[in-house]
Amino acid sequence: MDYLEIANSPYMWLAAASAVMVVFVQAFIFVKKSLVAGKEIGLSNSQMKSAMKSSMISSIGPSIVILFGLISLLVAIGAPMAWMRLSFIGSLPFELMAAGFGTEAMGVSLGSENMTATVFANAVWTMVLASLGWVVFTGLFTDKMENMQTFLSAGKKELIPVISISAMIGAFAYFSADRILNIDKGTIALIIGAVTMIILMWIADKKNKQWLKEWGLTFAMFAGALIAFLI
Amino acid sequence: MSNAKKFDVPVKPVESKSYSYKDDYIPFIVKWGKITCFLGFILSFAPLFVLTFVYGLTPSASSILAGFTAMAGVAAVLWIIEPISYYPILGIPGTYMSFLSGNIANLRLPCATAAQKAANVEPGTEKGSIISTLGIAVSIIVNVLILTIGVFAGASILAGLPDGVQEMFNYILPALFGAIFGQFAISQPKIGVFAIIVAIVMAWLLRNGFLGFLPGHPSYAVIIISIFGTIMFGRFLYNKGLLAK
Repeated sequence: MDYLEIANSPYMWLAAASAVMVVFVQAFIFVKKSLVAGKEIGLSNSQMKSAMKSSMISSIGPSIVILFGLISLLVAIGAPMAWMRLSFIGSLPFELMAAGFGTEAMGVSLGSENMTATVFANAVWTMVLASLGWVVFTGLFTDKMENMQTFLSAGKKELIPVISISAMIGAFAYFSADRILNIDKGTIALIIGAVTMIILMWIADKKNKQWLKEWGLTFAMFAGALIAFLI
Repeated sequence: MSNAKKFDVPVKPVESKSYSYKDDYIPFIVKWGKITCFLGFILSFAPLFVLTFVYGLTPSASSILAGFTAMAGVAAVLWIIEPISYYPILGIPGTYMSFLSGNIANLRLPCATAAQKAANVEPGTEKGSIISTLGIAVSIIVNVLILTIGVFAGASILAGLPDGVQEMFNYILPALFGAIFGQFAISQPKIGVFAIIVAIVMAWLLRNGFLGFLPGHPSYAVIIISIFGTIMFGRFLYNKGLLAK
């Protein structure tokens, strides 16, 4: 039997769907509680609505990008696993790497003609086992990370937002650095994206345009991609 | 322990707000966060169960170990560094949700921060944490919906798009990273300039093999120094009173 028949079988869909369900259950429980708690600590309905709307708009662009990644992955490992790994714990660069390591461990390159059902199974083993680290660590230690933050801010509460924004800037500087060093069209896209966003946010602040804050990321993203593509 | 605490701490009206957040909301989230992470752990094995017991596919233990070890070499440090690094932005509920659903840098973080911006709340505060929870939940629904529709209906359409259009999609991720960086850098330009210089220097050192003296694959050094170096720099500026309001 061709391994892709196994990979795309209803049993695999069932297995994948059961894992993705947990994400939904968790989101449902957390949202229900957060809406109540949010009201109690003084968030207005319009604040919460505008947060959800803004997140919905911001999700669309990246999700379409992830969908393209999913299609590149499903050619090699079938639709159910690609769908599961990009909806549950995983992310594209990591899953591509894990699937690759899994097949290479049996001397076969991912998606090649030499793929057998057992090689496919080894790729799934690698992807699953390697993704568990995150869920184990966050499951065990998330409630203890407050100490870490307190330690970093040395007990000063006003410092926490400063630390958060610094962490965010540091993280995205890290994601950007490698692509900047590539000096290719991706670098152009990155720089155009950054400059467009800076200009849009500056306008949004000056003219106090809420809708521009919500759509800014999407505009900047497509502007960067389009200009890099056209150059 | 928690009962004793309730008797010891008198509930003053002024403190009642944070009281309910700390003593009701967070314990609830932690309890269900742990339960759902455990469930996720168990159900991760569902596809392996199908492959083993329905199809009788059993790769040798040494092949599984070889694949896992290679991957762990790259990822083991990230399992720990990522949750700790993103925690100040995501908060407790956001951390549980983001690491169970994945796609953190490219989807959860942008959505959490977009939600916080739209609601005008600060990251790292109680309100910020609840708003990011709502934002991440919405991003989970949108993401799974788009992927599901895409897998069933869109695969053939997307494959039929002209090559040119597909090439453009390669540049969306870098543009997104640049845009998010720009969004934050403009609010604190000094930190932004510092961070990007440090990250580029570290990435350059890694590329040219200057970090080879470190054990394992030294990309973790780039992450640690970029993120924690920037945090230290932000703290320094704050303490000196040099931060933009």
